[in-house]
Amino acid sequence: MNTDFINICLADDDEDDRLFFTDAFDELKINTKVSTFNDGVELMDFLHHPDSILPNVLFLDLNMPKKNGQECLLEIKKDEKFNDIAVAIYSTSSSEEDIELTFINGANIYIKKPNDFERLKKILSEVVTLNWQYHTSGLNKDNFLMRM
Amino acid sequence: MRYIQLHKSPLFLKIIFIISIAIIFFIGGVTFKHITVLKKSSDFVSKSHDVNTELERLISFVKDAETGQRGYLLTRDESFLKPYLESKNAVKKSFNKVSKLTENSRAQQANLKKLLFYINKRQNYLSKSIYLTEDKNYDKNELAKNLVIGRKTMDSIRSQIEEMMITEKVLLNYRQQEYISTMNYTPLLIYLTLIVTLLLITIAFIKMNRDLVLLKKTINTLTVANEASNLAEIVGGFGSWQYNLDKQTFTFSDNEYRLLGCEPQSFIASSESFYKFVHPDDVNYVRENSINIQSEVNLAPFTYRIIRKDGEIRYFRALGRVVTVSSGERTYIGTTSDVTAEVEAKQMIELRNRDLESSNKELMAFNYIASHDLQEPLRKIETFLSRLVTKDYSNLSQSGQQYVSSIQSSAKRMRVLIDDLLQFSRTNKGEKIFEKTDLNIVLSNVLQELAPTIEDKKALITSDVLPTFDAIPFQIQQLFTNLISNSLKYSKENSAVEIKITATTCTAENEENIPDTIIGSNLYYKIVFQDNGIGFDQEYASKIFILFNRLHNKNEYSGTGIGLAICKKIVENHRGFIIANAIVNEGARFTVYFPVVS
Repeated sequence: MNTDFINICLADDDEDDRLFFTDAFDELKINTKVSTFNDGVELMDFLHHPDSILPNVLFLDLNMPKKNGQECLLEIKKDEKFNDIAVAIYSTSSSEEDIELTFINGANIYIKKPNDFERLKKILSEVVTLNWQYHTSGLNKDNFLMRM
Repeated sequence: MRYIQLHKSPLFLKIIFIISIAIIFFIGGVTFKHITVLKKSSDFVSKSHDVNTELERLISFVKDAETGQRGYLLTRDESFLKPYLESKNAVKKSFNKVSKLTENSRAQQANLKKLLFYINKRQNYLSKSIYLTEDKNYDKNELAKNLVIGRKTMDSIRSQIEEMMITEKVLLNYRQQEYISTMNYTPLLIYLTLIVTLLLITIAFIKMNRDLVLLKKTINTLTVANEASNLAEIVGGFGSWQYNLDKQTFTFSDNEYRLLGCEPQSFIASSESFYKFVHPDDVNYVRENSINIQSEVNLAPFTYRIIRKDGEIRYFRALGRVVTVSSGERTYIGTTSDVTAEVEAKQMIELRNRDLESSNKELMAFNYIASHDLQEPLRKIETFLSRLVTKDYSNLSQSGQQYVSSIQSSAKRMRVLIDDLLQFSRTNKGEKIFEKTDLNIVLSNVLQELAPTIEDKKALITSDVLPTFDAIPFQIQQLFTNLISNSLKYSKENSAVEIKITATTCTAENEENIPDTIIGSNLYYKIVFQDNGIGFDQEYASKIFILFNRLHNKNEYSGTGIGLAICKKIVENHRGFIIANAIVNEGARFTVYFPVVS
């Protein structure tokens, strides 16, 4: 049964955002298993743990204490065992620099946190059900930023 | 030109001098020769005269002998024999004298030989006659015969002497002829050479005089130039020094002394006396730089500090160059300028730059705060509101629902403000990458982006073919978006929106909208956005570009008052101009000028 779940991870230091995130998945009728982490260090500890089940999609906030999103991204992309994880950047910032840098560092998609719960649900369902192989092969700077 | 003349004239004068000397020597030689000839001639004349006199005397002595002999023969008086005997000696003496006088003439010597023969013969016959008459019974016939021969010999003597005199006369004539002919062309020659010399001297004089005038003029010019340079040094705050590389001597200009805080020429210029003023920390630096003076032609400019006589520290800048004058002497000419004000200004600018940099960094930090930290709470407010509306809206009272929608619209407005502010600060950012931009493509992107609104408003947008030039593409797109959405927003309610975009090129001087101060590229692309909207009062035309300036109440038209400020910023980033013209209720016209860069 475990394989039918889509494993999802979120690393975000903001409690409200974690709440919106889990609420959104609760309301979405998709078979998902959501785990949240308070910062980058927590996330990386989990990922490196041999018993951990690696997520299908990882949502990564950029601005986090201890270890920020960029650092996590670099670490994940360096390690071959994380090759199958699709990394979605999930940030308040929509600055060109952040978008550019995460694109270069190998993130798969960039999501600007929406300011409407309904829209959040829509975006998350879309991202989770995305055909990553197809998306990644045609990835460019224009479709990197998720637009709704 | 003038210097070349001055440079050449000494050679010319030398040539003239040498020619003159040669001519004077020549004249001297000729004169000496002619005077010698003259003296010879006059000697000769007096000699000829002597010869003639002596010949006369000779013949008279011979006659005396004859007269004495005759008297003796007639009277037998012994006293008559005395002149006869004396004349023999006198003749001999006289003959020798003539012989000596005519020793240079071969013809006269030959004549003299003949004469001697005749005189001897005559004397012999005279003696023979006396000898014959010694005997009482002498043969009278014999005597007569003897006397006849004696007379004949006497005639021969006379004719011989006459011949000698004629010869002498001929010789004299010849000499005189020669003398006259010499004397004839001598004055002419002397006169001619004198004239030539005079001419040369005159030319030399004129030349020298001209050079002198030129020299005087040059000296005057130099004096004025010197004064001008002195004045320039005072006004320009620089001094100059000269270092003669061959003689190893220094000279400082008056102002060089003043720069050091001293009276002009108050101490002897030398490198040592100068180093006394150089700031102790900079002495080695100055020495290092000065070493090159010996080998390099140009002294690279360098700045150092000096301590003036009054103790004030000033910054000096040195610059130099080797100048070789026509005599081959090499002089290092250098200037020292007091750049204290410049250096201080530069330090001030550096300080200000640092301030600006730090305040720029603060602004960047503010940008980040605006983009991230300010947006975060707002986003949460909106998200919670959206949750509230979807989940608990029905539980709220009517007024509560009213409040929630008011909060929603306020939050939305705040988000627009933050987004617009971000947009504005982004147009300010340093990195401006210009690339070839086809404005037609930009426009079609904008129209696509605004398609929902255009459709909604049923707007008709027409455009000329737009130019392609070096621009920042995303900024131009922002500009077009803002202008077109502005036209769409401020449209009249009950008529179809029409936006007309035209593009032409124009020159700065023909466009009253472009300030006169624009220099350089005169050609401009002129792109006009004309709409048929509500327009505005022309009075506010320049105000609308100011940040947060709004002409309408925010309840009538949504907006932050940032859009047109962004437009102005973008156009300025492209070194262009934007101008607004409008008539209330007829429409607004925005004209954008971009310089044509070749």
